[in-house]
Amino acid sequence: MKDNWRRNVPVFNVPIWTRPFQVLCVLGGIGLVLVLYREIVGLGPVSGMNDAYAWGIWKTFNTMVLTGLGSGAFAIGIAAWIFRRNQLHIVMRTAILTSFLSYIFGLTMLGVDVGRPWNFYWIAFPWHWNLHSPLLEVAVCMSIYATIPLFLENIPTVLDYVYDRWPQQRLSVEKFEKVVVAGYPFVVGLAYVLPAMHQSSLGALMLLGGDRVSPLWQTPLLPFLYVWAAAFLGFGFVIAILLFCGIIWERPLDVDILSQLSRINAWLIGLWISARLIDLTFRGRIVAAFRPDFFAGLFWAEMMILGWAFWMSRSASVRRSPRGMFFGALLTCLGGMLYRFDPTTTAFQPRPGSIYFPSVIELLISIGFVSIGAAIFIILAKVLPVLPAPLSLWYEMEAQREKSSQVAAAAIRSAAGQFVA
Amino acid sequence: MEITRRDLLQRITTGSAAIAVSGAVSAATMTGLAHAEEPAKVPPRAVGMLYDATRCIGCQTCVVACTKANDLQPDNRRDPLHQAPGDLNYRTKTLIKLYKAADGKEFSFVKQQCMHCVDPACVSACMFGGLKKDSKSGVVTWNGKYCVGCRYCEVACPYNIPKFQWEGFNPRIVKCELCKDRLAQGEEPACTAVCPKKAVVFGTREELLKEAKLRIAQNPGKYFENRVFGEKEGGGTQVLYLSHVSFSAIGLPELGDESVPRKYLKWQRRLYSYLILPAGLYAVLVGSIRKNWKHHEEHMREEEQETGLRAQL
Repeated sequence: MKDNWRRNVPVFNVPIWTRPFQVLCVLGGIGLVLVLYREIVGLGPVSGMNDAYAWGIWKTFNTMVLTGLGSGAFAIGIAAWIFRRNQLHIVMRTAILTSFLSYIFGLTMLGVDVGRPWNFYWIAFPWHWNLHSPLLEVAVCMSIYATIPLFLENIPTVLDYVYDRWPQQRLSVEKFEKVVVAGYPFVVGLAYVLPAMHQSSLGALMLLGGDRVSPLWQTPLLPFLYVWAAAFLGFGFVIAILLFCGIIWERPLDVDILSQLSRINAWLIGLWISARLIDLTFRGRIVAAFRPDFFAGLFWAEMMILGWAFWMSRSASVRRSPRGMFFGALLTCLGGMLYRFDPTTTAFQPRPGSIYFPSVIELLISIGFVSIGAAIFIILAKVLPVLPAPLSLWYEMEAQREKSSQVAAAAIRSAAGQFVA
Repeated sequence: MEITRRDLLQRITTGSAAIAVSGAVSAATMTGLAHAEEPAKVPPRAVGMLYDATRCIGCQTCVVACTKANDLQPDNRRDPLHQAPGDLNYRTKTLIKLYKAADGKEFSFVKQQCMHCVDPACVSACMFGGLKKDSKSGVVTWNGKYCVGCRYCEVACPYNIPKFQWEGFNPRIVKCELCKDRLAQGEEPACTAVCPKKAVVFGTREELLKEAKLRIAQNPGKYFENRVFGEKEGGGTQVLYLSHVSFSAIGLPELGDESVPRKYLKWQRRLYSYLILPAGLYAVLVGSIRKNWKHHEEHMREEEQETGLRAQL
């Protein structure tokens, strides 16, 4: 097929400073100003958190749920590098960049959420670590992952940019690239072990919630189900991003690769649903799903959304319809996010009668950080060769560059001519 | 793809190497954690309190004494004329609550404060040891130097005890520390010192347990299930309870005999013992990636030749 994705090409010919981008910047700005306010007055006045629900959406949504969406680099990377789905290498840059941004902002949000962030420096002293704490495991692995392997994985993209932008630097780029290539397998290995560890520890966090987490969610398999959910969330989110960007920036879609992603995603969801049902059945907790209460409703909502996502992803791969795949990916994200959110808040009852609902400021800060992440993604996708495209688009871009450099050279020449004259 | 004999041999060797590594890893994991899995022991000089709900008259003297002894600001936010907090909070380390049955006949007071668990969930949850259990007295204390303010202790504590200061830029975690400063001076905690009915008394855990069992023996049928709450519950606590109504009615959850961290983090601890499993996983992954790397490089070279463009990693 002519339009197969062969190369990562920046989104050229499109202005950066557009209306949606401005909206994102404004939302991000509001969020940042409110963060300042939060640091001064403390957590109580700005959030809906209380002594029963000590964790609000900053931790449970921005960190615990959104880093699940940012697991594309982990999940698709394993498919590409370990299970040799070689075709998928082409979407890795998109996955890596979205993962990097969601992790960086998840971690920043954690810093805003905690009450005494200045004490985080103890993380540099391993002998002060309490290795029994799942949260320590999360904090350590997540910050190492985001700042070292995930950051390094983005370097080839930047090198490509430098190579094309400054031809005089090509030799040093090539030299540096050799170092990168030599270290890459070790970095990539780390980029799979660390997320496997902290994504499962995110699930382990609520283990200590004990019986206060509804039996439909509380299980010794919580860490396993969390990391598995991160896998399909990563796939779903990357499919959704690729399709979304392809549509708004009018780029050809590679249905082959997208449907391959969808197919793997369907498998991941299907296995996850069966694992969860088997676990509930064997431990006899499944009866709780048939009580006419809120938790059972929530459970079936999750299962139905994910079941639908499974069906859509499977049948979409048969019908090869981008719309079907997009819908399937959105359902995957929605169901997975709901699953990862529920045991922390909606299915967590620390004390009868206590309630939590995020305040307006809390929501605005949360939205603000997501907006900044999206804005940075938009800039980088337009500057760096991140999004996959067919070769034809690359040649088109080259031709355009040539032309614009000729125009620039002509302009300089004429300006110089005028100066001489 | 055609499989040559060499390929096959290579696969068999890598495959068996992987199996050997994972076998060694799991064996080491199991033996490594066998000893880490013993239940936590009661510290040698464990001190605590015994609260007897049948003796308590709900006078709140202990609440006032606690506020004074710990330099807390009396919490009159709900009612300007009284120190009347609705629950434990960062200005209230202990509180007397009243339980009344729906039919109005059965009632009981209950004193709430930190239970000073033998194997505390809050200490297990705490990242850098902001909450620590003293190895001798067993008192669970907070140290602001190591506290990040993540509030995981609040999520983890099965008794809902640690409280967070929701105001200000320098918040604290507040909970009963068994008046550690008074203990250091050889005095007993403020609440036990002032209790007019000796409903709450201070002592070593051993003495208190003996005393509680004596009271049960002397008054058969008086106490709920003839049971001392805290002897075994949740892995044992250093604050013990006697009650004439059910423990769950006065807000003490039935947790079983295993401590919360042991019960829920068992597998987590096994999987992470000495980081053997992650290290083994890393070795296997790097090996596999390096093998597939050659394939990828070949593919990149083909791509370069075909398109005449520099390959993208």
